[in-house]
Parts: sequence; C-alpha cells; structure tokens
Amino acid sequence: MTNIVAESVSEGQNQAHALRTAAGFRRRRYLAVLLGWLFFLAVWWILSAVLGSEARLPSPPRVVQEIRTIFEGDFWTQFWASVIRVLAGFFAAVVIGTPVGFLMGRSKYWGNFLQAPVVVAGAIPGLTYAVMAFVVFGISFWGPVLAVGLIAMPYVAINVAEGVRGVDRRLIDMSTAYGRTESQVFRHVVVPSVLPFIFAGVRLSFSLAWKVGTLTEVFGSSKGIGFQIRRNYQLFNMPAVIAWVLLFVAFMLLLERFVLVRIERRLFRWRQWERNQ
Amino acid sequence: MTSAPVTLQESPPSPGPIRQWLISPIGAQLTAIVVFVGLWQLLTLIAERVPGPAEVANFLYVEITGGSHGGIVTGEFWEHFAITLRRFSAGLFIGFTAGLLIGVVIGSYGMARALLNDTVLVLLTMPAFVWAFLTTMWFGISWRAPVLTVAFVAFPFVAINVAQGVRAITPDLRNMSAAFEVSRWKQFRHLILPAVAGYIFAGLRFAIIVGWNAILLSEWFSGQAGVGFRTRYWFDANRYRGFVGWVIVFIFFIVVLDRVVLNRLQTRAFRWRDPIEVEVELAQQEQVGV
Repeated sequence: MTNIVAESVSEGQNQAHALRTAAGFRRRRYLAVLLGWLFFLAVWWILSAVLGSEARLPSPPRVVQEIRTIFEGDFWTQFWASVIRVLAGFFAAVVIGTPVGFLMGRSKYWGNFLQAPVVVAGAIPGLTYAVMAFVVFGISFWGPVLAVGLIAMPYVAINVAEGVRGVDRRLIDMSTAYGRTESQVFRHVVVPSVLPFIFAGVRLSFSLAWKVGTLTEVFGSSKGIGFQIRRNYQLFNMPAVIAWVLLFVAFMLLLERFVLVRIERRLFRWRQWERNQ
Repeated sequence: MTSAPVTLQESPPSPGPIRQWLISPIGAQLTAIVVFVGLWQLLTLIAERVPGPAEVANFLYVEITGGSHGGIVTGEFWEHFAITLRRFSAGLFIGFTAGLLIGVVIGSYGMARALLNDTVLVLLTMPAFVWAFLTTMWFGISWRAPVLTVAFVAFPFVAINVAQGVRAITPDLRNMSAAFEVSRWKQFRHLILPAVAGYIFAGLRFAIIVGWNAILLSEWFSGQAGVGFRTRYWFDANRYRGFVGWVIVFIFFIVVLDRVVLNRLQTRAFRWRDPIEVEVELAQQEQVGV
C-alpha cells in the first residue's frame, strides 16, 4: 500500500518535473527566437550604417518612423483592398478547382486529359498571370482576383483529385450496404475526407498566390500593398518601399502562424486518431 | 504543340483501335492539346485583340530565324536567350552556394537555427518583384540587378531545404563520428552530404522554378536585354502576338527543364534508394513545387 502511494507520489513528482523542464525548454525557445530577431535588426542596422545612405538602406528607426506615417495615413484602406482581392481569388480557385479535381479523381480518362494542363498551369511564371490580368481587366478590382484564382486553381485541383482517390472505398461500400442514400454518403463520407485536401491546396499555394496578387497590383491597380510598393519605387522612396514590404511580410508570417495553423488543426480534427497512432 | 494532328493520323484506321487509343493516357493528353488549341482559336474569333495560334507560330518563326517583322524591326531571339541564361545561372550559383552553406549551419547548430531561422523565413516571404525593385534601386540598370534578384529569391528555398535535410540525419551517426574523432570535413563529405543530397536537389529544383520567375520580372522592370526585356518590348509595342510568343517560349523552357531534365536527373541520382520511397518523395515535392 505505502509502496503504491510512494510510487504515485514519485510519479507525480516526475510529472511536475517534466512539466517544469518543458516550460524551461519553451522559455529558452522563445528567448532564442527573440535573439534571432535582435540579430536580424542588428545586422540590418550595421549594414545601413556602413552603407551610410538612406537611399540605399535606411536604418530601422527611419523605417519605423515611415511605418508610423503609413498607419496614420490610409493603411487599412490599402491593406483591405489587397486582402479582399486575394480572398476573392482563393474563393474562385476553390469554386472552379474543386469540381475539376473531382473529375480528375473520379475518372481515369479525365485524370489523364487534365494532367498536362494542370501541370503546365502550375509551372507558369507569375509574371504571365499578372500581365494577362492587366490586359483583360485594365486597372481594376478583378485583375488580382483573376491572377490569384489562376495561380491557386491547379493546386486545389491536384489536391482534391488526390483526396477523391483517397476516399476510403470500404466506408462508402458499408454506408451503401446499410442503406444510406447517395447524398448522405456524399455529405458524411466524401466531403469530410476531401475538405482537408481543398484546404491543403489553398495552403500550399497561399504564399505564392499572395505574391502574384501583389504583383498584379503593381501592374494594374490604384490601391493595395503592391500598388504602394510600386508607387514608392517610382518616387525612389526607399524607406517607404522597405516599410510596405515589412508590413506585407509581417502580415504573411502572422497569418501563417496564427490563422492557417489553427484552421488546419480544426479541419484535421477528425483524423486525430490517425495522428495519435 | 501543333504536331498533335499528325500523330492522330498515325493511329490504325479501324474504328475499334482508334477509340481505344483515344481513351489511352497518351490519347487523352493529345486530345487535351488539340482541344486547347481549338479553344484558343475560338477565343480569337470572339476577342479580336487575341492573337491566334497560327499568327503566334509565324511570329516565333520570324523571331527565331531573325527575319523581318515588317519594316526595319528584325527578329532577335538567341542573343536574348543567351543573356538571360547566363544571368540566371550566375544568380542561381550564388544563391545556391549561399543557401547550402547557411542551410548546413542552421541544420547543424541549434543556436544558429534560433538566430537565423526567422530571418530566412522573412526572405522566403518576400515577393520576387520586391527584389527586382530593390536591386534596381541599388545598382541601377545593369547585369547586377537580375543576377542578384535570382540569388536573393533562390537562397531561402535552398537554405530551408538543406537545413531540413541536415536535421533529418540521425544523431547516432553524428555522435559516433564525434566519438571517433572524425574530422569535420570528413563528416561533411561522407555523412552529411550523401544524406542531404535529396534535400539539396529539392531545394535546387524550387530555386530554379522561383528563380526563373524572378529573372523574368527583373528583366521586365529594368532590363535592356534578355527574355523578360524582349517580352516587355513587344507588350509595350502593343504587339500581342510577340508577347504571347515569348510567354510560350519561357513557359516551354521551364516546363521542359523541370519535368524532363530535373525530374529524370532526380530519379536517376537516387536509383540506389528504395524506388517507392523516391516516388513518394517526388510526389510530395510536386505538391509544393509545381
């Protein structure tokens, strides 16, 4: 009896110890990441001091000042202009790419038929899409939407096709055997297993599509982050170019770390058991 | 692309086999090409400004053979292509070498990883056109801008892949090498390098794809020669057949390079490994890399 108690006590102690160590690790990791950013800033600061000219590389405080000016100005208008277009583009990519992927996954013939177009579409340099969107729509809201849609679509299609091929045949057979209707099977078996693949397609093309979206704004837009970068480039305003680029990068990294990872976890929740194995 | 109908005639005349051939993988792919060219032709009927396939093919013929486009404008092809290729390989070499070195350092030392990982991520997030702008502001219109644009864009892709590869090496082997006092160079040559070869290759492949886009952008914005410059030349001249012709050329180049050359090389280089494992790895890269 005492033995058991002692054991459980020491187990508790072990657990506490493990938790403490884990917390220590986490603290040390945060510290290292912080150090990394300080290192980044230091290198930047030294480089700007060595180059000694604002037109070449402005110092961090100068850029921070510029960022403040941007926030006092119309940052949110420009920012939302880009976000809305890119989201609309992804929406279009999912709406068109999903049925194409279904077709590719369900039928061997269409899989072969669409294979080459999808592969080539995925290898086309972003410049092509950006210029094409400009030619089709001129300076307009729809240019970046088209470019993002075109660039993300092949990723969505390829992943959905993969997902459809991977749907567990036995689950469908069993559902049919127990008298589930076609629409029930679709709703409760096919959709949940394909949904993560749609998301995977969006996620894989996420950073690429954003880049092409801003590039399209460089060509044909009067608003948005890409437009601002180009405007300041033409004015030869280096601090403002760097400030807008940093805002873009910060937004992308935050989105990646806090939004995408969370959605991913939620969508793949039903596969928890798989991960635990 | 235009050779598709010829191949169609080569198939046996009896109706059964034709149908069978049409639904075979190659038949399906060729049908896709024919349908694509047909749709393109149809589009020119609806939108007058869109140049048709024949028009573009004719343009490319004149441009490549150096004939006259009408008036004093003559075709220029190989000189632009050679300039771009030279800059592309120079930039790739710089970016790849730097990425390899930093990648090995990040993968080997925890401290280096903590210090550099986020910096590399920031570089990875920067769009290529930003580098094209920055290098132009730094160096003006010169060969340095496109070369460094490619280098900056390629670098983080190589570094991240190599770091991942180095981290995947089992610590056992490294500990043993350390215990037997194998020199750092020998460890690098015989332990690290073979283990990360696959990751290096993957990094190189990404670098080539993103670098190609980067050099086109850089030449478009600030070139006086090169593929990107020539594409813009025709675009600015409002001659869309020239623009579409060059777009087809640079897409064709990257698809052939990636699909035919790199894909084959990769499969060949790793034939000593389990083929299924390689297959899976290639498929995964395709997902991220296309």
